[in-house]
Amino acid sequence: MATPSSQQVLDALATIKDPDLGRDVVSLGMIKELEVTSQGRVSFTFELTTPACPVRDRFKSQAEDAVGELAGVTAVEVRMTANVRPAFLRPKPSEILPGVKQTIAVASGKGGVGKSTVAVNLAAALSKSGASVGLLDADIYGPSVPAMTGSRVMPQQANGHLLPIEAHGMKLMSFGHLNPGDQPTIYRGPMVGKAIEAMMVQVDWGRLDYLVIDLPPGTGDASLTLAQAVPLTGVAIVCTPQDVATEIAIKALQMFRKLNVTPLGLIENMSWYVCPSCGHRHEIFSHGGAEGAAKRLGVPFLGAIPLEEGIRQDADSGTPVVISRPESAGAKAFVEIASQVAARTSIQSFRQLPVINVH
Amino acid sequence: MEITWEDGARGEYTGEQLRWACPCAECRGEAGAPGRLSRVKTLQDDELKIRDVTLVGQYALQIAFESGHATGIYTFSLLRRLMQ
Repeated sequence: MATPSSQQVLDALATIKDPDLGRDVVSLGMIKELEVTSQGRVSFTFELTTPACPVRDRFKSQAEDAVGELAGVTAVEVRMTANVRPAFLRPKPSEILPGVKQTIAVASGKGGVGKSTVAVNLAAALSKSGASVGLLDADIYGPSVPAMTGSRVMPQQANGHLLPIEAHGMKLMSFGHLNPGDQPTIYRGPMVGKAIEAMMVQVDWGRLDYLVIDLPPGTGDASLTLAQAVPLTGVAIVCTPQDVATEIAIKALQMFRKLNVTPLGLIENMSWYVCPSCGHRHEIFSHGGAEGAAKRLGVPFLGAIPLEEGIRQDADSGTPVVISRPESAGAKAFVEIASQVAARTSIQSFRQLPVINVH
Repeated sequence: MEITWEDGARGEYTGEQLRWACPCAECRGEAGAPGRLSRVKTLQDDELKIRDVTLVGQYALQIAFESGHATGIYTFSLLRRLMQ
């Protein structure tokens, strides 16, 4: 029997649509190194836009089915890989974070909703999926990343740059690394901006697929500096379900909208609590507040995370829960949210900023 | 200066037009006090010539003029409105 041509294979694969990007996987350039042997063996590389792709397995079986159904095909080999694409075609090569493909901010507006816990576990989940990940703790006054990652060490210097600290497979930098101990950082606003800029310019982040940035609460200096200094791919907003938290989260989201930073979506933390003695599910801070707010604002709802003792214990002992207890409900929620964030981030790499010419 | 927008639309801007539209506090005035642009009728040549344009985050351009004036942050929505 005659074997199919490469074009026939590509036509079959073009029936697979990327649900987030809304286009077929062939025109998105995801199919590479296609070979068809005279014995009817078809092999190709399926290059995803993120290793944390939520539809990775579905794509693989859809590709095998679509090609396998072609007449003359005896075997199909699909090699799944991922290559994170840079967020924007920047107008000029930038000295700020030159090797970083995607920058994802985690913000909340309100304090105490678990922003740092979410940022640490989001970064750890992306890193576990195979991406190279950095985590920048931009909370100058209340840095929590050194404690949550068990990395209370001073960064080394090389070639006039600070080297990020490596822990749990991620690159980390926090003001808590630079100013350890119990002495507070007492800074006025403009100094906060300078300190955050320094952590981006003076730290040798190297090549990263994702840089997750843990923002301090509020809609002031830190967020503004960040939104002005780097073209952020997007921002994920964390809140707890009750009204007082969602109201402030909405303000944070609207601030980023004004600065043309895409909201990747809302994350609901402390969403429910399963009592270890009675097994009853309690909704201490109410439930569904973030999902409702996301609907009203027209942004994606990225997922809900339970209130679990394990998440708190692991944060205090310095290992993110997605690494220490991957089977827990909390860890699974973080992994699912990370793949949603990665998918939303990939959409941004197909967007372009306006092109400016001066003459 | 020329901008090609995400939707393909193109806008042309002169240094003079942009200088008079400068949104900074010194030019527009703040807290009820009138700004410089409402007090002067004419501007010098070097005030109208663009020297450099830098991207601010992904929401605005900072435009520097030959006179050294560079405090205006022109948001993309302002630039789009100026295009008419």
